Amino acid sequence: MNRITLQNALPNVFAQRTDIQSDIWQTDAVFERGHLYLVEANSGTGKSSMCSYIIGYRHDYSGMILFDQEDVSKYSTNKWVQIRKSSLSHVFQELRLFPELTALENVQIKNNLTHFKDKKQILEWFDALGIADKVDQKIGKMSFGQQQRVAMIRALVQPFDFLLADEPISHLDETNSGIMAEIMMQEAKAQGAGVIVTSIGKHMQLPYEKVFRL
Amino acid sequence: MKLVWKLLRQHISIGQLVGFFFANLFGMLIVLLSVQFYQDVKPAFSQEDSFIKNDFLIVSKSISTLGGLSGVSSTFTEEEIQDIEEQPFASGVGKFTATQFHVAAAFGINGAPSFSTDMFFESVPREFVDVKSDQWGFSEEEGVVPIVLPRSYLAIYNFGFAPTQSLPKISEDLAGLVNMIIVVRGNGMERRLEGKVVGFSNRLNTILAPEEFVNWSNHMFAPHEDTSPTRLIVQVKNPADDSIMQYFGDKGYEIAEDKLDAGKTMFFLRIVSGIVMAIGLLISLLSFYILMLSIYLLVQKNTQKLQNLLLIGYSPARVSMPYQLLTIGMNAIVLVISIVLLGIIRNYYLDMLWSVFPEMDTSGLMPAILLGLGLFALVSIINVVAVRSKVMKIWKNK
Repeated sequence: MNRITLQNALPNVFAQRTDIQSDIWQTDAVFERGHLYLVEANSGTGKSSMCSYIIGYRHDYSGMILFDQEDVSKYSTNKWVQIRKSSLSHVFQELRLFPELTALENVQIKNNLTHFKDKKQILEWFDALGIADKVDQKIGKMSFGQQQRVAMIRALVQPFDFLLADEPISHLDETNSGIMAEIMMQEAKAQGAGVIVTSIGKHMQLPYEKVFRL
Repeated sequence: MKLVWKLLRQHISIGQLVGFFFANLFGMLIVLLSVQFYQDVKPAFSQEDSFIKNDFLIVSKSISTLGGLSGVSSTFTEEEIQDIEEQPFASGVGKFTATQFHVAAAFGINGAPSFSTDMFFESVPREFVDVKSDQWGFSEEEGVVPIVLPRSYLAIYNFGFAPTQSLPKISEDLAGLVNMIIVVRGNGMERRLEGKVVGFSNRLNTILAPEEFVNWSNHMFAPHEDTSPTRLIVQVKNPADDSIMQYFGDKGYEIAEDKLDAGKTMFFLRIVSGIVMAIGLLISLLSFYILMLSIYLLVQKNTQKLQNLLLIGYSPARVSMPYQLLTIGMNAIVLVISIVLLGIIRNYYLDMLWSVFPEMDTSGLMPAILLGLGLFALVSIINVVAVRSKVMKIWKNK
């Protein structure tokens, strides 16, 4: 997948509104592979909705979302599974980790599916992000900031053309946020992937090529 | 897979599964038992009879005290027989022809005669004989008379006489080994013949010899006697037909309905098995319902986890699999245990059956196993589809 296009898309809940001024909604927004984007938003402007639409979790919008030239509303279940497994990685704002599993298991449950990274690489990331001692800790017992780092590692153990990071550093300090950004960009470069970061204020310090106001 | 299972087994209610397990076990066991019992008992009643297709009535004229003394004939005339044949309910009429001369029979084992008795033979046309034997027939040269006895005689001996006299029970095969010397006398002649018991009849309550023999011997030893039948065997299409009772009542004939009539016994056996099976199926259905509820509840409680798995790239098929395997596994365990229990219970009742029907040959556990596998497959397929559709609902975010 080389390009994600939102073509005149609009969440159904905004259908009655006439005052929409957005770089994404009701216009053509294009994300290219290999580039770095920031989507800045105020709360309530549909940032999470946008992520849900792109990942194929929700379909309550008008207009079209295209992956390359293909309309995603026509995608089959299998196609979506393939996309989520090998084309599109997502760091969820709400993380969607499993509290019953340990930090490492939360990453492995994804890696078991893709067999993309070895355990050594995963542990190196834990180490770099300063949570090496939490590897065998249940996710439920970790702070949200620590969980955010695990969620990022989980997003990296798969091949992807685009990485969609929904407020990945909302609970991180400057140092850790910098380390996370570095790891993320390293991996994205290695794969030649595009990166879309969203934020409602605090955002990763990165050389964004284009900033969208939602 | 291990991690997925670790996640999805959360909220599994052992209590519910145990409830399902026993309910399903009882249901399955009852269903299998009813079918197996039916299959096992069927040969004991049906013999060569095809199930309820034919029913036979033995018809005679009533013998009243007055009639018996005054010598009113109790035989059927050709016209009367023809009239019965023309009735719409009758599909065949056979005459009982009795021997009209003196017959004495001596029994013995290994040639040593043990006792002798006067007796008689009757015959009916071959198609009414419910014992199929290749020895059924008679030729003068061989001089062997095949004989069919009522099965009730054997029962009287085995259950009435033998136990009280400390004698061994006789199986039907053993009865065939008994030597019988038959001496027929009449018309100034005497002839020794060999008798051989070739089978036992449920239908015909008489000492039966082949029609060829009775015709030949009546012609030889009692050429001038009247051989008009006193009893007729009537094959009817539907024994429940009202017009049968009506007709014979009007004519003043008596019907000896065969109490041991295989058709009726089978019919009741079938009804009883059917009822028991229906109860078993109902229990199975309820247990199936428990399982479905339990699984639905489980999926409901684990919706968030299932949804997350789907969002990180797990396919609905893969996410459904643990629950599908769980249900299939439970069903399989239930199937295996019920077949084992069935085998144990069957051994108990087979012992009893064998003492009543020593000749019975059973068909093995195959019918129950096949049915069990069928039920297992059906239930498992429905389980698998239901779980999958539940997961697809989560996929569609409904």
